[in-house]
Amino acid sequence: MTYTALTGSDNYFENFRVGDVYRHARGKTVTEQDNVGITLQVLNTAEGHFNEDLMQKAGVGGRGWQERVVFGGVTIAIVIGLSMQDTGENAIAELSLDGIRLKSPVFHGDTLYAYTEVLGTEAATDRDDAGIVHFRHWGVNQRDDVVFEGERHVLIRRRPA
Amino acid sequence: MSDDDFRARARLWPKGNRFEDFGEGRVFDHHWGRTITAGDNAAFTTRTLSFCPLYFNEPYAQAQGHPRTVVNPLLVFNTVFGLTVEDLSEGGGPFLGVDKCHFLAPVYVGDTLTARSTVVSARESKGNAAMGIVAWHTQGFNQHGEQVIDYVRTNLVRKRRTAS
Repeated sequence: MTYTALTGSDNYFENFRVGDVYRHARGKTVTEQDNVGITLQVLNTAEGHFNEDLMQKAGVGGRGWQERVVFGGVTIAIVIGLSMQDTGENAIAELSLDGIRLKSPVFHGDTLYAYTEVLGTEAATDRDDAGIVHFRHWGVNQRDDVVFEGERHVLIRRRPA
Repeated sequence: MSDDDFRARARLWPKGNRFEDFGEGRVFDHHWGRTITAGDNAAFTTRTLSFCPLYFNEPYAQAQGHPRTVVNPLLVFNTVFGLTVEDLSEGGGPFLGVDKCHFLAPVYVGDTLTARSTVVSARESKGNAAMGIVAWHTQGFNQHGEQVIDYVRTNLVRKRRTAS
């Protein structure tokens, strides 16, 4: 197996230019399996993500939500996931996230889309086969409401010689 | 035969903390821990369209110097977060944001994660007298005690209902 043949050729470190903004192909409808599955897989015990009866009776937090709300960790993972083929397929390592904000609630059946801006690029200090790219991501729902924004640093391979 | 109604005799076995429980500097060593299986990692990664082969192609990961398939860092984040919920946020209130999240070391399939949090700040919410705003510094560790993730989370947290 030639490993470089397994990943794309248009998403190496050199491909990212400061100021570029991408609209990522593919959206993802957030299903009950996504939210309840991941919430409980990771032992998140907050009932608002998996007890429909509670939510229908409570109008939780005075917000009037009448259904289970998607765990923010799931929203973060899906939005960054939707961007991953373009911004992390040739990653060596995910380095950091910052300024992660959940701007609106997500419910079962909502569809998420992802956008990315390149904020910066820099050489890696300890290796010459990769560089660090600084991204800003946004996630929007089917009504174009922003549900997520945040920044991310990724160590990405340079194009092989 | 007793007509006792088990519901009338039951007392709630409560879970979670409230705003008043979060004194600045309080440390929580969170329950349970979680071994990340190959199934966890593959299911999470594919379900979130997180298409980097490090997380689902073992020889690819090994060709890059890893001993086994790398656990998706978003699953590391979600798992460490999940371990903290009963202590920190099950008491109610939405999750507002995460800052300064650093992935400090790779996690591999078969590794076991544990979590610890420290209260950074707890203040009143200007817009909501029933809630406060709390920030925690959370650290995640592998089974060798090496720290693998570090972040600060901010939530609205419900206050105790006062008798009226």
